[in-house]
Amino acid sequence: MEDKRTEIRRIIRDTKTLPSLPGVIAKLSSMSQDNRISAQEIARVVSSDQVLSAKILRLVNSAFYGFSGRVSTVSNALILLGVNVVRSLAVSSSIFEIMGKNVVGLWEHSMGVAVAANVMSKRLKLPEPEETSTAALLHDIGKVIIKIKLQEDYGRLTAHLAEKGLMMREAERELLDTDHAEIGEWLAQTWLLTEKLIEPIAWHHNVEKSIVHQTKTAVVHVSDVLIKASGFGFSGDDIVPRIQPVAWNRLSLTEPLLESIIEEIEDKLVEVKNFSLEIQLGDEYKT
Amino acid sequence: MRCRPYERAVFGTNAIVCIVTKGPMQNIPIALVAPGMVLAKEIKSSEDPASMTICGKGVKLTESLIGRLRQMGIQSVTVEGHPVTMEGETSLDEMLAALDKRFSHVATDPLMMKIKAMYRKHIQLSMGESGGR
Repeated sequence: MEDKRTEIRRIIRDTKTLPSLPGVIAKLSSMSQDNRISAQEIARVVSSDQVLSAKILRLVNSAFYGFSGRVSTVSNALILLGVNVVRSLAVSSSIFEIMGKNVVGLWEHSMGVAVAANVMSKRLKLPEPEETSTAALLHDIGKVIIKIKLQEDYGRLTAHLAEKGLMMREAERELLDTDHAEIGEWLAQTWLLTEKLIEPIAWHHNVEKSIVHQTKTAVVHVSDVLIKASGFGFSGDDIVPRIQPVAWNRLSLTEPLLESIIEEIEDKLVEVKNFSLEIQLGDEYKT
Repeated sequence: MRCRPYERAVFGTNAIVCIVTKGPMQNIPIALVAPGMVLAKEIKSSEDPASMTICGKGVKLTESLIGRLRQMGIQSVTVEGHPVTMEGETSLDEMLAALDKRFSHVATDPLMMKIKAMYRKHIQLSMGESGGR
C-alpha cells in the first residue's frame, strides 16, 4: 500500500483527479513560460473565457489589491498586476468555486489574510504587494486539496484535532505525514506558479526556511496569525499561533506599528465580508 | 445598545441585527439590508463620486426602495449604526470569551498577549463599548 505522501503526490500529479480547471489556465501556464508572448496576447486568451474574466476582475477589484472598482478590463489587470498574478487569480477563482459554500470559512480566512498582507506590504513599503497578496490568498490551498480529495482523512483530522486540542497542521503531520503547507507547495509547483508564490505557501508556518522570498513569507505568516487572532473566517482550527521572531525581525515590526496595521485591517475586513456575501448570494439573485 | 432581529431569513445565518442609537456607520451587502435602516451615506449610481445620486443620506429604507436598489444592481449600502453582526456571535461577552479561547495556546508569550489586548480593545470599540457601560 502506498503511503500518504505518495498518494497525495499522485493525486496532485494526476490532473484528472484535480478540481477541473478551465482549459484557459493550461494555456496560460504554457504561455507564461514563453517570454516572447505579449500581455495583449495573454489578455486575449483570458478574455476568451467570459466567466473566468468576470471572476478575475471581481478579485482584482476586491479589497485585496486596493484598486476598488477601477480595473475594468483584463488587459488593465495584466498591466497592473502582471501575468503571474492574473494567472494565479485564474487558478484561485476556479479552486475556490469548487470549494463552494461548504468551505466558506476557509475562503473567508484566505481572503482575510490576502487583505492583511496587502495592508502590511503597503504600510511597510515593501515591493510587489500584489504578489504577496496573491500568495496570501493561496497560502492554505493545500487544505482545499485535503478537503476535496481526501475527504475521509479530513474527517479524521477534524476529529483528531478536536480531541487533542491540536492545530490543523499538527494533526496533519500526525495523520498524513505531511501538512497543508507542503501539499500547497507541491500543488503550486505543479501549476508552475512563480517562486515568489511558492515560498510563502510552503513556509508560512516556518519562515526561517524561506530563503529567497523571506520577506513575502514573513508577511503571509504574520497576516495569517492576525486573521486567526481576529477570528475572521475559519481556517480549520481556532488556535492563534505565535508570531515567529524571525518574521517579526525580518519586517522590523514594532508594537505601535502593528496596532495601527491591525486597525486598518479590521476596517477592511468589513469589505471582505461584503465580498464574500456577494459571492455567496450572487447565484440566488440570478435565479 | 438595543438589539432586535429583523424579519429576514438570510441564507440560513441567524443574523442578529442591532440598532445602535448613537455610533458609527456600517457598510452592508444589499442582501442584509432591511426596512427601517437609515442611510448614512448617499447611494451613487457608480463608484465615480461625480455620478448621479440615487438616494440621499438620512433616507429611511422601505421594502419597495430596497427592491428598486437591488434591481439597479446596487451591491451594498452604508447605513447608520452597526446593525448587522454576521459572525453568529451574539454578545460582547461571547466575543471576548472566544478571543480568550483563541489565544489560550500563547498565554505565556508577552508579544502575543499584547496583540490580544489590541484585539480586545478593537472588539470593545466595535461593539459600542466606548466607556459607556
